[in-house]
Amino acid sequence: MKTSNATGIGNAINRVEGHLKVMGKAKYATEFPVENKVYAQSINSTIAKGEIISIDATAAEQAAGVLKIITYKNADKLKTFDEAMPSVSTDTIAPVLQSNKIHFYGEYVGLVVAKTFEQAQYAASLIKIEYKKDNSAVIDFEKSRSKAFAPSKKSDYSRGDVEKGLKEADEIIEQTYHTPIEHHHPMELHATIANWDNGKVLVYASQQMLEDAAIAISGTFQIPTKDVRIIAPFVGGGFGSKLNLNGHVIMAIMASKMVGQPVQLTVTRNQMFTNTNMRQKNEQKMRIGAKKDGTLTALSHEVLSHTSTTAIFQEPCGMISKMMYNVPNNLVKERLIAMNLQTPFAMRAPGEATGSFALESAIDEMAWKLKMDPIEFRIKNDSQHDLHADKPFSSRLLVECLRIGADKFGWKDRKEQPRTNKKGNWLIGYGVSAASRNAPFQKTNAKIILKLEEKKVNVTVQMDATDIGTGSYTIIAQTASEYLQIPVDQIDVQIGDTDFPVTPGSGGSWGAASYCNGVQSACENAINKLKVNRNIKKDKTVPLADLLKMNQLTSFEAEGSAEPSLEFKKYSVFSFGANFTEVWVDKDTGMYRIKRMVNVASAGKILNPKTAYGQIIGGITMGAGMVIAEQTKVEPNFGNFITRSFADYHVPVNLDMANVNVVFLPEEDKIANKMGIKGIGELGITSVAASIANAIFNATGKRMRDLPITPEKLIEAGLEPGISA
Amino acid sequence: MKPFTYIKASNKEKALQSFSTTSHYLAGGTNLVDLMKENVEQPDQIIDVSTLNYNIITKNDKAGLTLGAMVSNADTANNKDVRQKYPLLSMAMLSAATAQIRNMATNGGNLLQRTRCPYFFDIAMPCNKRVPGSGCGALNGMNATHAIFGYSDKCIATNPSDMCVALAAIGATVEVQKIDGTSRMINFKDFHRLPQNEPEFDTTLSKGELITAIHLDASAFSEHYYYLKIRERSSYAFALISVAAGFQISNGVMSKVGLAMGGVAHQPWKLLKAEEFLIGKQPNQSNFEAAAELALKDAKPFEANKYKVDMGKKAIVRALTQAYERKA
Repeated sequence: MKTSNATGIGNAINRVEGHLKVMGKAKYATEFPVENKVYAQSINSTIAKGEIISIDATAAEQAAGVLKIITYKNADKLKTFDEAMPSVSTDTIAPVLQSNKIHFYGEYVGLVVAKTFEQAQYAASLIKIEYKKDNSAVIDFEKSRSKAFAPSKKSDYSRGDVEKGLKEADEIIEQTYHTPIEHHHPMELHATIANWDNGKVLVYASQQMLEDAAIAISGTFQIPTKDVRIIAPFVGGGFGSKLNLNGHVIMAIMASKMVGQPVQLTVTRNQMFTNTNMRQKNEQKMRIGAKKDGTLTALSHEVLSHTSTTAIFQEPCGMISKMMYNVPNNLVKERLIAMNLQTPFAMRAPGEATGSFALESAIDEMAWKLKMDPIEFRIKNDSQHDLHADKPFSSRLLVECLRIGADKFGWKDRKEQPRTNKKGNWLIGYGVSAASRNAPFQKTNAKIILKLEEKKVNVTVQMDATDIGTGSYTIIAQTASEYLQIPVDQIDVQIGDTDFPVTPGSGGSWGAASYCNGVQSACENAINKLKVNRNIKKDKTVPLADLLKMNQLTSFEAEGSAEPSLEFKKYSVFSFGANFTEVWVDKDTGMYRIKRMVNVASAGKILNPKTAYGQIIGGITMGAGMVIAEQTKVEPNFGNFITRSFADYHVPVNLDMANVNVVFLPEEDKIANKMGIKGIGELGITSVAASIANAIFNATGKRMRDLPITPEKLIEAGLEPGISA
Repeated sequence: MKPFTYIKASNKEKALQSFSTTSHYLAGGTNLVDLMKENVEQPDQIIDVSTLNYNIITKNDKAGLTLGAMVSNADTANNKDVRQKYPLLSMAMLSAATAQIRNMATNGGNLLQRTRCPYFFDIAMPCNKRVPGSGCGALNGMNATHAIFGYSDKCIATNPSDMCVALAAIGATVEVQKIDGTSRMINFKDFHRLPQNEPEFDTTLSKGELITAIHLDASAFSEHYYYLKIRERSSYAFALISVAAGFQISNGVMSKVGLAMGGVAHQPWKLLKAEEFLIGKQPNQSNFEAAAELALKDAKPFEANKYKVDMGKKAIVRALTQAYERKA
């Protein structure tokens, strides 16, 4: 017998939609049976900069099944950017095929629509495009430093005087850290079915934020947002690549408008490197000063990244250095080079994932220099006040994360001196890092429909939320279960449709807090209204079925919404964590194994330990990927990516992953929001890379500051005895 | 993908007769179909030979085994006799790709795997192997994974196979059906070629020739063997460097030695000088190190892949050491 307590929040119940997924019945973007659907295949440029001189589509036009070929010559006129280098956001327009100019290798240059997928694909391969290549393309990051610019007024931050702080220091660390271009690569390809019907658009899409996607579509086609409906009940991962609207959705809508039929367009895995966002390369120069006793005196974090030549995106790598430690003198500078590559965009924990690699590596370097335990060094510089925002943290259990993690991990067994823990050909090392991630919360609306059937109340929850594999369905159902005292098997969660009440969607670690507080509000409103109608006191517990009966109702609807309180704005609201890694490095071959990891997270109320665990494990795996092998390589002569498939772009395999122990600290943070929920979608990836790199130093005595840390780099660093700190 | 016709060959005569210059035999398809999707291979006709009766492993008259060309890599690597007689081959094959790919990939197909050079895989890039005369993009491009031995200015690609590195160490004979219906035997060391001026040819097979079997001599290195594969992740990655090492010990010295490297040349790279050096020597660290020096002496790396020289030496020493310690 299920009781409501067993399915309310905090219970490790299975995913409510899990059965649908394993049965193959959960429908993803291109799995909807749409009548009269035709297929499109897009075409990419094969130069990095220049213009199209001619297009020979003769053979393609005559190929079997071809309905339409769309290029800049006949494309629908779309809204284009008013300014030269606009900043990209999640609701930014996505004009495509609007001119013959080429800005990066792989830019969309055309589209073939045919009766079948195979016909479209083959015909696309027959189109011959002649280009006039402009040899001034900026494709070499190293050689383009002089072109760096500050993208905004927020690119420079300082408090105190870093130079003065460095002068006061007894020890100084000055090192530069590199992270390569990385790609999100969610398992579900970006894909869409679009139907243009008399100026109204229906899109099945794989998007994280439906409202913003609708705004982007309406902006691009200059139609009212209410005429755009997006359906996305299931999204097979996003990691940020599906936050904004990418060109393929616009092309599919345009094609549907031009052929008068619904059009399906799938972005290929190869195109997911060039056309659906990426994390750009970052070069991070760190300068840290500290007193002999471990007191930080200065922290400087200078970032050089790149954007495209057409728009601006700045990954806030320096953010974490502004708020993490109690350091009076702080400088953060972020600069960009405009390169002939696609515009980068947010990838899981934008800023923290890469910024923490630099910060937490440099902190480890300083601890080593001071001969201090790296945990004690961090604890000494802990701050309960966010010096950047000049607000107290709503809660900050970083010290507890580090202490408890150290205990669970067995940190006391660590050998301080590198290369002293050995087993056969293995050099064994322990590493630690601290993590933090903003825990935002955004305005969210939800609707619940109660239906009394026989003696049971069946509940429907509706909101335009998305579940990108994170467990939104489950935690929304658990929230309704908790506040209505109804088991989850009587709750039907309906999300992923812009016809439902507006939410901020999934991204930036705000999904869980926003969705659940929205649902909580709707539940509370429903119960309160039903009680008020019958003059029942608020605090009196009455089963929902009885309440409906007392009201002589068999169905009832209520809406609710939640948004940050005034108090919320007086605090800095963050999740915190700590990562511990044991790594075994082969003393000769440069191959290494991550043997085990302990992750401690303090992230408010854990709604469902099972889905939360999945979030942290996923983040850790992606963080390990940053270290093990993930990198997209730019060809120096052509400007294309030579990593074009999963055979070249190496993500971790099961065998690479360690035994990972995830610990959630109990935390009550009612300032964060009514339910005390903080985000965990991005906390897990944060500073994992530094934890592993620090363990590699402890094992080998070699500092590896350039991700990924591959066997070839370890061989080049020389795995011989000695310490090159 | 370009449209093509597909026929399933019911017997070898049908397969050979159907072959034209734009045909391609299909066995497991794990490499060919990928290349067709990328438009690198554009056959007009696919002749499916996967069900021809070259699908068993038998004992041959040299007291060794004959591996049918259509036996899957998984079935070969896990075959009891193969594991017993040629554990080095089994170990190398199990290090390759993934379980799913090994279930589909065949022995004949493995010998014909094409390079993973990114310029070969991208039809917008120059590549003499794909389009003779178009140039070698890798020569002055990104060549961290490319050859350090035996390359030419036309091509610096490497052979990606693990199985073939073990076969080079063990020695084998490849049996092929010629298009005229007769068969011929090719010594494994002559099967793969160096790029020279014709990198479009990976092997010495003629158009239309069909691999039917791989003949192995009586057991090889069933006691002292090791396949070391250095790669960027624990599975499903091609080798940066691999080493197949095996030897026999008689009266305290190495009598027979098999040593080959992968990831360094257009063919599985047999280390003849190192093999010769080790024969008659004691299996110890200094001899292993001397052999490794000898093996890499003639390496000509590029700037981006010079790590392969050091890595190669360490890999050889490690593989030989592991082979020795396995039974010692």
